[in-house]
Amino acid sequence: MNPKERVQKFFRREPVDTMPLFSGMGTVTVQAIEALGYQFAKVHTDAEMMANLALKSAEMYGYDGVVVPYDMCTVPEALGRGVSLYEDAEGILYPTVPTKWANLDEVDLPEDFSTIFSRGRMPVVDEALKRCLDYEGERGKLAVGGWVLGPFTMAGQVIELDVLLKGVAKDRQRVTAFLDRMTELVIAVARHYQELGVDFINIREMGSGTDLLSPRMWKMLIKPNLEKVFAALEVPKVNHICGGTDLIVEMMNDCGADAISVDQKNNVAESRRKLGDDALILGNFDPYGTLVQMDAAEVPAVIRKCIDDGVDAVWPGCDIWPDVKQENMEAYVKAVRDYGRQPTPAVGRL
Amino acid sequence: MANDRREELLKELREGVVEFDEERVKAAAQAVVDEGLNAYDAIMNGLAAGMEEVGELYDQQEYFVPELLMCADALYAGLDILKPHIRPEDIGATAKGQVVIGTVQGDVHDIGKNIIKMMFEVAGFTVHDLGRDVPLEKFVEEQLKTDSEIVALSAMMTTTMMGMKKVIEMIKEKNPNVQIMLGGAPVTSDVAELFGADGYAESAGNAVQEAVKMISNLRKLQNQGQQEQKDS
Repeated sequence: MNPKERVQKFFRREPVDTMPLFSGMGTVTVQAIEALGYQFAKVHTDAEMMANLALKSAEMYGYDGVVVPYDMCTVPEALGRGVSLYEDAEGILYPTVPTKWANLDEVDLPEDFSTIFSRGRMPVVDEALKRCLDYEGERGKLAVGGWVLGPFTMAGQVIELDVLLKGVAKDRQRVTAFLDRMTELVIAVARHYQELGVDFINIREMGSGTDLLSPRMWKMLIKPNLEKVFAALEVPKVNHICGGTDLIVEMMNDCGADAISVDQKNNVAESRRKLGDDALILGNFDPYGTLVQMDAAEVPAVIRKCIDDGVDAVWPGCDIWPDVKQENMEAYVKAVRDYGRQPTPAVGRL
Repeated sequence: MANDRREELLKELREGVVEFDEERVKAAAQAVVDEGLNAYDAIMNGLAAGMEEVGELYDQQEYFVPELLMCADALYAGLDILKPHIRPEDIGATAKGQVVIGTVQGDVHDIGKNIIKMMFEVAGFTVHDLGRDVPLEKFVEEQLKTDSEIVALSAMMTTTMMGMKKVIEMIKEKNPNVQIMLGGAPVTSDVAELFGADGYAESAGNAVQEAVKMISNLRKLQNQGQQEQKDS
């Protein structure tokens, strides 16, 4: 079974040989950046470098899948919000959106969202995805994931977040209408990646956890839009939210995605009890704490806990911070391979 | 009678903040000014006390960030009216404090930073707000330029948190006495300790609690200072 088949079967809930090792968030490592001699800031504008870096990181550590792009600004940039790449900054920084719309009156969106696919770095991402899809290494083909921010998180990337959050109470009608447009945007981009042939799509509605919004507001404002997004996609899809999710995990699972992904704040044992054995749960270790800060000897226990608590595949709770310790990455990969031989609640073993 | 009226207005300010009722806060603040009551008392025991309650409601998951933001708007509505009427003798030595605040380079999330900024302003600090996505050396330059006692750094994302470590090193090297406060979702007490910071707040709600604690510490210091002045 090659890495791609392992991930594909996993999403179909068919038995696999071992737990797939992959993520729906960035898995770039500094070891791969150094091996390729790249500057991280330059990678975001070059399809070849973007693809090579994803593939190199995967092959170095034995990952089953890759994900591009690495930053969340490609769509906002294509909508005219610009991008800060930090080419002169020391160390690793992810690109950010420099100019958000200050209020709803300023918002200027195209009627037809397919027009953005030729703008900014959208073609770079397409080309990088194609390169990853074409790639075949010694282990065979890798699974290729696409990802798009969820409608609310996307909205927070193009308009000032406090305007959005206060508007929910004070200007509900216009905020709802704006989120409807963001939902159309997310669907258009996700369907575009689906047409390119990605193996799965991760919808990262990461700005909507209960650190920020009440469960009541989540149900009213986030859930209906995520339902529309997942209903519009045929490819396997993941509903990822980081931060507090214990209070909304059942609603997350009801949105129509094939799997949910949660971070270290979620009590997965409890979530598994609530959702039953059929739900595909991905998660939930702290990538910075586990791969950057900890001693390598402590890593297997973290991974084992994720599996013992009931995840079907071990996912980091967020992008892997590239500056990982090599021995921690190796310990994480080995632990997933060793402890992941046993069946998980939703996916059996061959 | 005057004390009853004071209590009444403090309650109005407090409840106005908690219920994010800007008009109610404005009316009570104006009454404090018109009736010659102590503006500093109204800020600390009315507005700040209300925000303390808001922090508790956030911790109890009754309030979330949208409510925090609306409460903050209500607080500012009162602060704008009351601040020009603070008497210098009410503030004392500690409130001459200055703080440099900003969100580190690579991070454009500034809600938590703005809430902390507000609490510093409530406490009478002069706040030098560098905004968001601030190049690291700018914090050092601004601290040296203003001789601020506190530098408050915020990062919402793990990926930008590392910048904080560099800023702390740069500042502590030049001036080891500067107090550094960190905030933001990925910042834990372990991270704050590892980076050599003096305090931390992990979320917007927690930032309110931390800032309230900080203010009460400052008030204790201020009272001690006044006592020492009297004694000498």
